[in-house]
Amino acid sequence: MILINCPYCGERDQSEFSSGGEAHVARPENSDHLNDKDWGQYVFYRDNPKGIFYERWVHTHGCRKWFNAVRNTSTDEILKIYKLGENPPSKESFSNTLKTPSGEPKVGSGNFTVKK
Amino acid sequence: MSAADNKQSSYISDKEVSFKFDGKKYVGYEGDTIASALLRNNVKLVARSFKYHRPRGIYTCGIEEPNGIVQILNEHNEPNTRATVKKIYEGIRVSSQNRWPSLNIDIGSINNLLSPMFSAGFYYKTFMGPKGFWKRIYEPVIRRTAGLGKPPKEFRSKSIHQNHNADIVIVGGGLSGLIAARKLIDTQYDVLILEQDSFLGGVLRNLNKVKKINNKKPIEWIKETEKLINASKNIKILKNSLVTSYNFTNHLIALEDKCVGKKIDKNKPELTLHKIRTTHTILANGHIERFISFRNNDLPGVMLASSFEKYIYRYGVVPETNPVIFTNNSSTGTLLKSLVDLGHKPAAYVDARNKNKIGSKLLKYLEKNNIPFYINSEVEGCDGNKKVKTISIRISRNKTIKVKSSMLCISGGLNPDIHLFTQSKGLVKWDDKLLAFKPDVPFQNTITLGSVSGNYNYEKTIEEINNKLSFLKAKNIKLNIELNGSNNFNIQELWETKHEKKSNWSKSFIDLHNDVTTKDLKQAVKEGFDRIEHLKRFTTNSMGTDQGKISSINSLGIVSKILKKKISEVGTTTYRPPYAPLSFSAIAGRNTYEFYDPERKTPIHNWHIDNKAVFEDVGQWKRPWYFKKFEMESMHLAVQRESEQTRKTAGILDGSTLGKIEIKGKDALEFMNLMYTNAFTKMKPMTSRYALMLGEDGMIKDDGIVCKFNDKHFIVTTTSGGAPKVLADMEEYLQTEWPHLQVYVNSITEQFSTFNISGPKSRDIVSKVFTDVDFSNENFPFMTFKVFDYMDTEVRVMRASFTGELGYEIYITPNKALELWKKIFHFGKAYDLVPYGTETMHLLRAEKGYVVIGQETDGTVTPLDLNFNWMIGKKKKDFIGKRSLTRSDTSRDDRKQLVGIIPLDKSEFIEEGQHVVECERLPKRITTPVEYLGHVSSSYHSPNLNHCIAMAMIKGGNKLMGSKLFVSSTYGTKNIPVEVVSPVFIDPENKRLVS
Ligand SMILES: [Zn+2]
Repeated sequence: MILINCPYCGERDQSEFSSGGEAHVARPENSDHLNDKDWGQYVFYRDNPKGIFYERWVHTHGCRKWFNAVRNTSTDEILKIYKLGENPPSKESFSNTLKTPSGEPKVGSGNFTVKK
Repeated sequence: MSAADNKQSSYISDKEVSFKFDGKKYVGYEGDTIASALLRNNVKLVARSFKYHRPRGIYTCGIEEPNGIVQILNEHNEPNTRATVKKIYEGIRVSSQNRWPSLNIDIGSINNLLSPMFSAGFYYKTFMGPKGFWKRIYEPVIRRTAGLGKPPKEFRSKSIHQNHNADIVIVGGGLSGLIAARKLIDTQYDVLILEQDSFLGGVLRNLNKVKKINNKKPIEWIKETEKLINASKNIKILKNSLVTSYNFTNHLIALEDKCVGKKIDKNKPELTLHKIRTTHTILANGHIERFISFRNNDLPGVMLASSFEKYIYRYGVVPETNPVIFTNNSSTGTLLKSLVDLGHKPAAYVDARNKNKIGSKLLKYLEKNNIPFYINSEVEGCDGNKKVKTISIRISRNKTIKVKSSMLCISGGLNPDIHLFTQSKGLVKWDDKLLAFKPDVPFQNTITLGSVSGNYNYEKTIEEINNKLSFLKAKNIKLNIELNGSNNFNIQELWETKHEKKSNWSKSFIDLHNDVTTKDLKQAVKEGFDRIEHLKRFTTNSMGTDQGKISSINSLGIVSKILKKKISEVGTTTYRPPYAPLSFSAIAGRNTYEFYDPERKTPIHNWHIDNKAVFEDVGQWKRPWYFKKFEMESMHLAVQRESEQTRKTAGILDGSTLGKIEIKGKDALEFMNLMYTNAFTKMKPMTSRYALMLGEDGMIKDDGIVCKFNDKHFIVTTTSGGAPKVLADMEEYLQTEWPHLQVYVNSITEQFSTFNISGPKSRDIVSKVFTDVDFSNENFPFMTFKVFDYMDTEVRVMRASFTGELGYEIYITPNKALELWKKIFHFGKAYDLVPYGTETMHLLRAEKGYVVIGQETDGTVTPLDLNFNWMIGKKKKDFIGKRSLTRSDTSRDDRKQLVGIIPLDKSEFIEEGQHVVECERLPKRITTPVEYLGHVSSSYHSPNLNHCIAMAMIKGGNKLMGSKLFVSSTYGTKNIPVEVVSPVFIDPENKRLVS
């Protein structure tokens, strides 16, 4: 239900897009030199933070282009969108604007409704 | 003592409307809801309760109704409709729900006497055993006696979705909403007002609280305001539109009923789902009255006081001329006054508060009008047969008196309707003066106005709105509001009255919809469910379709008393969308028949139909499964015939559904080497190769045939279902990992029709069709292809096979496909060419030991597990998934590996999906797990070998060749003895393939 501002097409409904998980996880070039653990890290492990998350999106039912987005996972708010190859904005640049619903803790369910 | 009309009400017409309830005919007025019309006719009993089947009546006058839930028989049998919301029209047929055989005599009410069995957590405790009881006894019984209405049959929705973009959305067109709207008239903002009722005005229309606005009657002020709004350029009103969800990023969903008070028009949408995006949301959605728990507080005739008042004003019906009023706050004062003004007299006024809190003004009024009143008193309970007859009032600690009346109006306080506010993730706070939660910190651009913000004093509404909307830089409004009765709320805490146990039938309810009693709450807390979220789920309190709108705060009150905590410490459960139940048809939208899920048909489709094909769905594709030679031919016989004939002479398959992707560009070769396991560098132009695509985890994702035109041009096939994903993966890698590669990929699935012709006579047939092409083995060897002109178009023929026989794949533009197909049959007739479907394709490939992605593989299978080592370009520096093939887990030699299995007794048949085990018999009672070696992935009766052949994935299968194992079966505990063999059952030397 969020609007996503495709850098090539403009604002479109979320239903036109697909999420591609964490961004800036480069595919290792010399994978044969990696041990099982390091290669496994690339294949199987991704971050799942509450708060600022750098992630990839693709405009599946549109221009089919991939791009990057910074999203606050606790509010679904998209803070920044930038093209592949562009430098990611620094984490600090969002810290002032970042909020969590109902001021809930950094880790947890988010089922907070009553102000203590 | 009965109902009476309020002729002064101006909102209901005097046009009579007849309708049926449970088969009996009644007459109401145009504008009546089912509930108001039934009350007008003195019908008190309208439903049976969820668990105990207790008689129930209309409890409220709106969306919060927990009891009056009915089925509309003439509207595609629409179930679970709120009688307090649904308007009647001429000929509507309504029936009650959850009763058998009738509302009056309901056998299920025996549950009430068995109630110890149905107490808190009964679902979890009761239906534990013995084995088989759930399926045979519990479930059928529960399904018949519990639950809601019956689902509609053969209903085709015409509901539509509509999108809105607004600057400001006002939820609720009541007093506060209208003041806010007046402020915004002709400003630069686009404003949308959403009102759930068919009228604007809310509390001004529903209750007798406001006497005058700017010296005008409220109705005049509403009319004037609506006129001004309609004349404005920037404000739009949507009536009959209930906001059900308030999502992140100020996205709201509202449901509009397009058929209020009229028959559904079969050609028009009955519901519209509005999807609204806005910058600011103004919540002016008011409050909901709550009840009080006492003995038999569910008896028909008990009703919320403000709902009773709403029936008088909004619907012009006084449900009972002499009711008893029971309250703990001042909001009931106007009801009292309304009844007196209409010439009626309450049978008693019971107030839990003391003199000071009630105020001398009201006490004097009661005295003056000779109304029996009891202060510092409470209703202990009520009695009657299927409706209230007597009401017991405890007037002092030891003294209870009885008053006769058929109705009891109760008010336990007012809750700001914080549902939408908390959905938006705003924080609420307990207010000790109002004894209710009210909005505190908004999370989005949300403003709450009026009673939803906890402001019950209408005189102060204007000041509140001017303050809260000052940031919008709109003109301040001056408004003079004159009240009827007190502006004081003065509530006193009261959640449940102490009651005497009269009989087993006596109950004090906390949730009317789900039949949860206050006793259940106490028992659950005793059993350790002292967290409110756990308690809710264990008792099902406030989990009905009304979500406990009139009672959930009361349960917090009761629980806080038991736990000796403050309500703010107990907390509230999470409010989740939707605000009120909405029809699935509204979400699903219009029924678009065959366009909902398009059927993809190949150009040969009609020929298949003419030739008695039985179709199978493969994704959206319709593929021939098998062809019936004659009407009575069974699938088994057809498949055996098709398979035999193909190996004997020739067969042809319509493979047009196969995914096809064209890859072009300077770096196409490098890209192909990275995407697939195979090595393409040394591959000669105009040759083809069976290729595998892996995920980075080394597991097989898709397979297909790669045709190499040259280093800059490839065409690949994919599985019929895998094409979109393979294309998406190629695009992803090109954009994200290898943007330096100059490669273009494009789907050409529908640009080419594909036929697979195979069998020893296939060369003879294609030679006769394409007379200019040299099909000899020397000049057209296995895994090569040729492109040539034919029928004024370009045709590509590849020598390949998925059957193990000599075979060709023919690619042609769909426009000419049917013509070519018929031509092939014309020349094939002399060779008994047979058309075959997907089932025969599967059988033939299994005989040859070819795997099917998704059948032998399931996302956990590597090429090594299938002995596909020969397909891996080991010398290549990199390809997707390469590194994973040497991970410690993928290089284990006890992984599940592909083998063939055949039954030792050739007359036996192995079933797909069965387990491969080492034991001859399964124990009758399984006490320790039976060791499982793997599973049967494919199994067929081979007509060419005349016995069952199967493929299986079993642990360390490569080392088990020749050994004897067992396969479980659906018939008894005896397993089928089998031998592990090579999965290639026919022509292991590839003589047929390359001849
Ligand atoms: Zn785009």
